[in-house]
Amino acid sequence: MTDFAIETEGLEKIFRSRWSKREVRAVDGISLRVERGTTFGLLGPNGAGKTTFVKMLLSATHPTRGRATVFGEDSRHPRARVPIGYLPENHRFPTYLTGAGMLDFYAALSGMTRAQRKTRIPELMEKVGLDKWGSIRLGKYSKGMLQRVGLAQALMHSPQLLVLDEPSDGVDPIGRKQIRDILHELEARGVTIFLNSHLLVEVELFCRDVAIIHRGKVAVQGSVHDLTAGSGYQVEAENVPEQLDTELRSRARGVAVRNGSLHLTFATREDANAAVDLLRAAHCEIENLSRTSSTLEEVFVKTVDAAEVANAGKQ
Amino acid sequence: MRANSSIASLALVRDTFREAFARKIFWAFFACSTALILFFIFIMRVDVVEGALATASIFGRSGPSQSVERMVADVHSGIANFIYSIGMCLAVFASAGLISAIFEPGRIELLLSKPVTRYHILLGRYVGNVLVVACNLIYLIFSIWIIFGIKTEVWHAGFLFAGLAALFVFAVLLTVSLLVGVLWESAAVSIIATFGVMVISLIVSAKTTWERLLSSEWSRDIVRGMYYALPRIVDIGKINHSLITNQPVTDWAAVWTTAAFGVVMLGASLFFFARRDF
Repeated sequence: MTDFAIETEGLEKIFRSRWSKREVRAVDGISLRVERGTTFGLLGPNGAGKTTFVKMLLSATHPTRGRATVFGEDSRHPRARVPIGYLPENHRFPTYLTGAGMLDFYAALSGMTRAQRKTRIPELMEKVGLDKWGSIRLGKYSKGMLQRVGLAQALMHSPQLLVLDEPSDGVDPIGRKQIRDILHELEARGVTIFLNSHLLVEVELFCRDVAIIHRGKVAVQGSVHDLTAGSGYQVEAENVPEQLDTELRSRARGVAVRNGSLHLTFATREDANAAVDLLRAAHCEIENLSRTSSTLEEVFVKTVDAAEVANAGKQ
Repeated sequence: MRANSSIASLALVRDTFREAFARKIFWAFFACSTALILFFIFIMRVDVVEGALATASIFGRSGPSQSVERMVADVHSGIANFIYSIGMCLAVFASAGLISAIFEPGRIELLLSKPVTRYHILLGRYVGNVLVVACNLIYLIFSIWIIFGIKTEVWHAGFLFAGLAALFVFAVLLTVSLLVGVLWESAAVSIIATFGVMVISLIVSAKTTWERLLSSEWSRDIVRGMYYALPRIVDIGKINHSLITNQPVTDWAAVWTTAAFGVVMLGASLFFFARRDF
């Protein structure tokens, strides 16, 4: 049994125009491993190749080169899709179906028997907060409700890998929290969750591991904790005398004044300790001492900018 | 695995029916069939005396006196022609949208994410579509057959072939819609292409006339090639007529070449669908 829910090797997709010789390299040799049971976020700017990557995992798009496996099974084989629950980004569920009817249809395609479907549908409709909407046609659902019933659809056959493309798109904050709670519950049960989202805060809140892809390539990959951990230290102090202020500013890597407090960033722990000694000697109030950290958004922007610069350099 | 695939097949067929219901396609066919059935129940009056036709009237107007057998065969033939021509056009027109609907972005990805093969998905839709038309044809043909049987006591089984022939040609023409749907994902283009095939098939059906009119051998070869390659709608219509009127059918070749056309189109649809990126 493999330790990886998803494994890709040199996965590549080139879209060629039918008539002209123009081609677009949407995914450019991505090798990625997603551990079984983890929560993984795939990030990237628009057109980075995220959706194409996901579609290749599901065999909706055929790779030009490379291979992908899902729990060790070749993604091209229908068997590989048995443990997958998928919610596409711009899904278009048949509006002539009711919520329950839609769940029934897609669950039947997953091979669930009528008896299994019958017990599972009300369970899941309740879980996503739509228990009174089962017999209403999907045409009457709001966008947020469609997302929630879409999530229920992905969960119908109790998948081991959940692939979600912008799952909270159009969902209100309460609904988002509800979705996050469901995902946490699944995570606790060992379900691997693969999230493709533009909402970096959400990915940061939820995912353990992330990969940022840019122009079809993996620019950065690692745990959210490691990627957002800073390399410096921050000291926040008040009532700093002018002379000491000048000295500290000259030693610090970065300085900011917010609400009368002096925020100093130092590159090393020694520098930070020395600054604390000086501040204490001058009887200043130390408000905070911590390691610096970046938000996932900062990491994302920095990564994409660096990749752009590197790309411009190559050209 | 076998049980799972039968569940999936059934779901795909049922979904086609649901969509046909929702798009009012099924009900439109049903309403037309019912109107025709009611017409024959209430409007047509037939009086049979000792096995011979005494009077037959529609809207109270009597026709010339003739044998019951002949009258039934004529009316059956007329209805069969109506179903075969007008009914066929309506069915092709209505079904093209059902095929292209599954290729909508956001819908096809979800279908493909399920553990069923692409062949399964396409064939499920195709079979569902054929069954939607089949249900209405069975309803219409059997009802009319029963009405005429009760009114005239002539139970002419040949008429039942009318539905079979229409369904067969519809199933073949639907493969054109299927292929065009797979390639271009457009209901409009599917309809145009399918009617195009129908029209060309009708034109080249007058093969012998064209052979006389055309001057060059290569142009005659083209007409001959198209005549044999495309569905032979007119020839199957003639076979249908022979079956209804109890005449012997001497040449079944039109059925085989038309079936071959359908198999090739279906195979091409499956081939291109399996290779496509969505």
